[in-house]
Amino acid sequence: MIPIEVYLVFAAILFAIGAYGVVVKNNTIVVLMCIELMLNAANINFIVFSAFTTDVLGQVFVIMSISVAAAEVAVGIAILLNAYKVKNTIEADSLASMRW
Amino acid sequence: MFFELPFEIPYLLTLLLVVPLVGAMATLAMGGERQKYAKYTAGVFSGITMVLSMVLLFTPDLSVYNESHTWIETAGLRMSYILTVDGLSILMVFLTGLLVFLSTVFSAREKDKPHYFFALLLAMEVGLMGVYTAADYFLFYIMWEVTLIPMYFLISWFGGPRRHYAAIKFFIYTHVASLVMLIGIFAIVFGAASGGVADFSFEAVLAGSAVFGSTFQILVFGLLFFGFAVKMPIVPFHTWLPDAHVEAPTAGSVLLAGVMLKMGSYGIIRVCLEVLPEGAQYWQPIMIFIGILAMIYGAYACIAQKDLKKMVAFSSISHMGMVMISIACLSSIGIQFAIFQMFAHGLISAVLFMVCGMAGHSIGTREIPLLGGIAGKMPVFAAFMMFGFMASLGLPGLVGFWAEFGIIFSFYDYAVSVDMIWLIALCLLSLLLTAGYYLWAMQRTLFGRLTNKIDLSHIHDVSRPEAIALGVICALIALYGLWPDLALSYIDGYASSLAASLGVI
Amino acid sequence: MFVEYTWLVPLVPMLCFVIVGAFGKKMPEGGGPVAIFGALFAFVMSVLISYEFFTSAAYSDPGFITAQIAWFSIGDFTINVGYYIDSLSCLMILFASFISMLIFIYSIGYMHGEGVKKRRYYAEVSLFLTGMLGLAVSSNFLEMFVFWEAMGLCSYLLIGFWGFTHPNGDDAADNAASAAKKAFLVTRLGDVCLMGGLFVLLYAFGSLDYVTVFDTAAMAAVDPNMIMLASLLIFGGVIGKSAQFPLLDWLPDAMAGPTTVSALIHAATMVKAGVYLVARCFPLFTQNPEVMLFVGLIGGITAFFAATMALNNMNIKKVLAYSTLSQLGYMFLALGAGGYMMALGIQSGDNHLIAAGAVGYTAGCLHMVNHAFFKALLFLGSGSVIHATGTEDMREMGGLHKKMKITSITMLIGSLSIAGFPLFSGFWSKELVLEAAMHAGDYGVEGYLFTIMWVLAIVTAFMTAFYMFRMWFMTFKGKPGHGTEHSHGESPKSMTAPLVVLSAFAAAIGCMILFGFDEYITIGINGAGQFQVGSGHGHGMVGWLEDIFLSAYTYLTVVLVLAAIGIAYLMYSKKSVDPGKINRNGNSLLYRALSNRWYFPQLYNRIGWGLGYGVAKGVEFVDRDVIDGTVNALSAAVVGGGESLSRVQTGNVRDYAAMVMIGVVLLFAVIVALFYFMGGA
Repeated sequence: MIPIEVYLVFAAILFAIGAYGVVVKNNTIVVLMCIELMLNAANINFIVFSAFTTDVLGQVFVIMSISVAAAEVAVGIAILLNAYKVKNTIEADSLASMRW
Repeated sequence: MFFELPFEIPYLLTLLLVVPLVGAMATLAMGGERQKYAKYTAGVFSGITMVLSMVLLFTPDLSVYNESHTWIETAGLRMSYILTVDGLSILMVFLTGLLVFLSTVFSAREKDKPHYFFALLLAMEVGLMGVYTAADYFLFYIMWEVTLIPMYFLISWFGGPRRHYAAIKFFIYTHVASLVMLIGIFAIVFGAASGGVADFSFEAVLAGSAVFGSTFQILVFGLLFFGFAVKMPIVPFHTWLPDAHVEAPTAGSVLLAGVMLKMGSYGIIRVCLEVLPEGAQYWQPIMIFIGILAMIYGAYACIAQKDLKKMVAFSSISHMGMVMISIACLSSIGIQFAIFQMFAHGLISAVLFMVCGMAGHSIGTREIPLLGGIAGKMPVFAAFMMFGFMASLGLPGLVGFWAEFGIIFSFYDYAVSVDMIWLIALCLLSLLLTAGYYLWAMQRTLFGRLTNKIDLSHIHDVSRPEAIALGVICALIALYGLWPDLALSYIDGYASSLAASLGVI
Repeated sequence: MFVEYTWLVPLVPMLCFVIVGAFGKKMPEGGGPVAIFGALFAFVMSVLISYEFFTSAAYSDPGFITAQIAWFSIGDFTINVGYYIDSLSCLMILFASFISMLIFIYSIGYMHGEGVKKRRYYAEVSLFLTGMLGLAVSSNFLEMFVFWEAMGLCSYLLIGFWGFTHPNGDDAADNAASAAKKAFLVTRLGDVCLMGGLFVLLYAFGSLDYVTVFDTAAMAAVDPNMIMLASLLIFGGVIGKSAQFPLLDWLPDAMAGPTTVSALIHAATMVKAGVYLVARCFPLFTQNPEVMLFVGLIGGITAFFAATMALNNMNIKKVLAYSTLSQLGYMFLALGAGGYMMALGIQSGDNHLIAAGAVGYTAGCLHMVNHAFFKALLFLGSGSVIHATGTEDMREMGGLHKKMKITSITMLIGSLSIAGFPLFSGFWSKELVLEAAMHAGDYGVEGYLFTIMWVLAIVTAFMTAFYMFRMWFMTFKGKPGHGTEHSHGESPKSMTAPLVVLSAFAAAIGCMILFGFDEYITIGINGAGQFQVGSGHGHGMVGWLEDIFLSAYTYLTVVLVLAAIGIAYLMYSKKSVDPGKINRNGNSLLYRALSNRWYFPQLYNRIGWGLGYGVAKGVEFVDRDVIDGTVNALSAAVVGGGESLSRVQTGNVRDYAAMVMIGVVLLFAVIVALFYFMGGA
């Protein structure tokens, strides 16, 4: 049986890649994708703990999280589309008009 | 009681709140083309309120007007709608009714959005009446805050050139102080409840105050005292006052100095002294020091002022310092004359600010160095100004003198008890300085050569509404000056019972 | 039956004040007749009251009639309002109302050209009279203090009568405004002292009623130091009101008001109130000889200094003003010397000393009455001269005797009286003053100080005679000056008639002393033994005549007075002696010091500006820059801090994300560290 640490390290790496992408990438599509990566890293943790503790509550949460993620992507893409219409770009750096 | 009314008006104290509130809304509706009716609407409603407040003066037993209804009740809290009037508040209620009505009359010529202006005055009156009649800390605090908002808008909409600065300063300063006060109120309310239902009514807190330890009393007294004293105001937390006065419209200044400052001293007597007598004992020397400092500092600051209205504002600080030392004597005479001085100063400062207001709009400037010889051009104005100044510097036969006399006498009593009679000399010095700055100001504004530094072609003497408002107050100043018992008789009983409770500990 | 209506005495002039103030515009002469009626009523009432009092049983026992009702209460202390009639208050209301009436009549002519201002004038002088009459009949200190201050207010208003739109131009208006302020402020300085005295009394005695305070038993029960403190503070009020050294500076400046007002202030009201108060408080003051010594010293010093300042002044009104100060000094010297002896007598139980002290008291009161008449006469006379010539400078007068016979002769009578020419009023009282001062020198440890004062007083008598006749000769004799040529002759009848009446009194009123005045006046302080001072026994006519004319010192002063008149005649009428030689044409150090009033005004100005405006500037700086500066700095710090922190918010999503990450990492590190250090699992 594969020990639990392997799963956790895998999830951690996945999360780190996602976090790195969110901070570094200028393209907001990529940023959204990276957010998905982070979410899924969390989902993996849920499933792993669920499997190792034989508690199904974790799997329930994953289902919920996936649906929330789907809704979030929908909203995010909608915002980006609108931003593209107005600003003609989806680069994160040029969408900075909401500061003080 | 010299004359007793044979009838009672049901729900009188509620009416004192409701009538100005309805009046404020009615006046607010007088916008647009109906603007010219705004002053009449406001006059009628504030007039009714004044008459209602005068009914109290002729009521032998004030307790018939007590009202008590539960307002908010949960498992742990009880806030009630309780209104009462006693020896401490009756003169303040009368003063509020009187001054709001007279400042409405005085401002009858207000042209710029009069419906807002008069509605704000009436809204002020709701808050002021509420503060002086509330007998529940929650209601009291709400009313305390209610007074802030109309005053803020009076200053920032109808004020002078630096009105925004002054309004913000006024609001933040007094609001911070009242938050400190709120902490103190929570402390005494929950302290008195000692784990039971926290009843906010004055009565319940007073009944539960026996459990307060001395450290608790001293600490909480400090919080409450700070909250109230900033309103009075005390040196060095006074700088909001001159700015607010200088920028406020005349009616606003009249209410600010005449009634609002008294909220501070009212709170100190009502809350600090009644509930925390031991704290009062501990803080006594500090209060005395602050009072004397305010008296002398305020008087000296007056001498250096160039703006007539700012000078009068500083004189308020000086005179409220007198109230402070009088309260701090913690004696029957002290409390009696502190309340009397609050009343006297309310009347006198109204005259002073009205006069300054007239200087501003009739002559066009309040700058003392620009004026001179005005008495020849505006004799009626000069007479009122001189009357107000003389009353304020404590000319015997006018109401201010008796207040000062009683205060310094009570302070003499204190000074003897701590074996420092020379402290009296400081009080007397402040009287002398007061005479000094008023006389010097009169010399430079009313007398001497006619000024050539300003355009005098548009100058006009006192108008009829202004003369009526001033005349009424001046008559009252003389009346209460010749017959001080008219006011003192209301206070006597309250002062001696409070002093007795202070002496018990 | 009249005494019960004593309250009408101040009330009727008060009503006149209200009536004239309200309706004077429509009345003839701006309400002048109403004011005269008020004074006349007060005078008639005073006569009736005095008659009733002197014939009543209360005159000899207890020596006063009083009645009062409760006014209000300060804690447990009840303040009353009522009247107190004794010989002293009868004397005060009699001469105050009579002289005021004459001055008001005179004003009809003098103020005729003032137009609309007349209403104000007559209203204010009525109030002034109210103050004086009310003060004299008050039954307690606080009531007295109310009227005392009312007079202060009236003096302020009347000295500043021409404080705006002055007929002589802007500088004169500025001057009047400044003089009015000075008068009120300086007297106010005294008044706050007096108020302090009232606190001490009220606290010590539990009441401010004369009857209670002056009671021997009550005074014995009170700490003597407190009585001394109260006495000195009350005398502080007197120093301010009666313009004694060192607060004497306001009175000469007060000449900026109309001459009639000066007459009123100097003769009938205001400054006399101080003398009255000392006389009234005699039972209290005599508890301590030191207090009375102080009173006497202040009086003697003032008498001397004020007289020196009058020696070279060119302004006719100022000379009279200084002479008032000087004569007031005489009164206080007499009261102080008499009280000093009385106090010593009370302490040692020596009735002889008490009787000697009563002479001083008599002298002070008599001189007060005499002075009231001749000073009113002199001021009204000078007013008549000023009215005719249009100037106050004596160098522009001269030779007026031919043009203004009545004024000239009446003023001569006044001058003779004030100079103490034998058999004129001033002679009697001045001899008594000197006698009292001389006697006081013989007793007590500090008695020698009174001997010094006595010498000063004799020198003052010489100077008085000199400057009064200098004034008279400069004005009425010699070469006609500028003003004389422009003058239009004698003043109207309404002005000369009061002069004639006053001159009769000024010449003869002092003879009262020969007809039992000493008995009438001292019985008041005796109070049938209740107050323990005074004698109530008269010397009688023969006694006084022997007393005065068998003393060598009387002849000494008479010779000095005659010599002074002679010198004045030689200098200013015959011009055989040139005063310019003595003073090096006004350049000698002494002359300049005198012209500058011994530099008192400069000194006071410096002190006043330093302690008043100088400190005020400092306070203003602290207020504006330190206290308000801190408040503004605090608000600036909050606003500025917020602004600079808001820069962190770049609007860049990636920055936000990075910060969130950093935050998470830090939080994680903190938690790990916590677990590690807390020794967790």
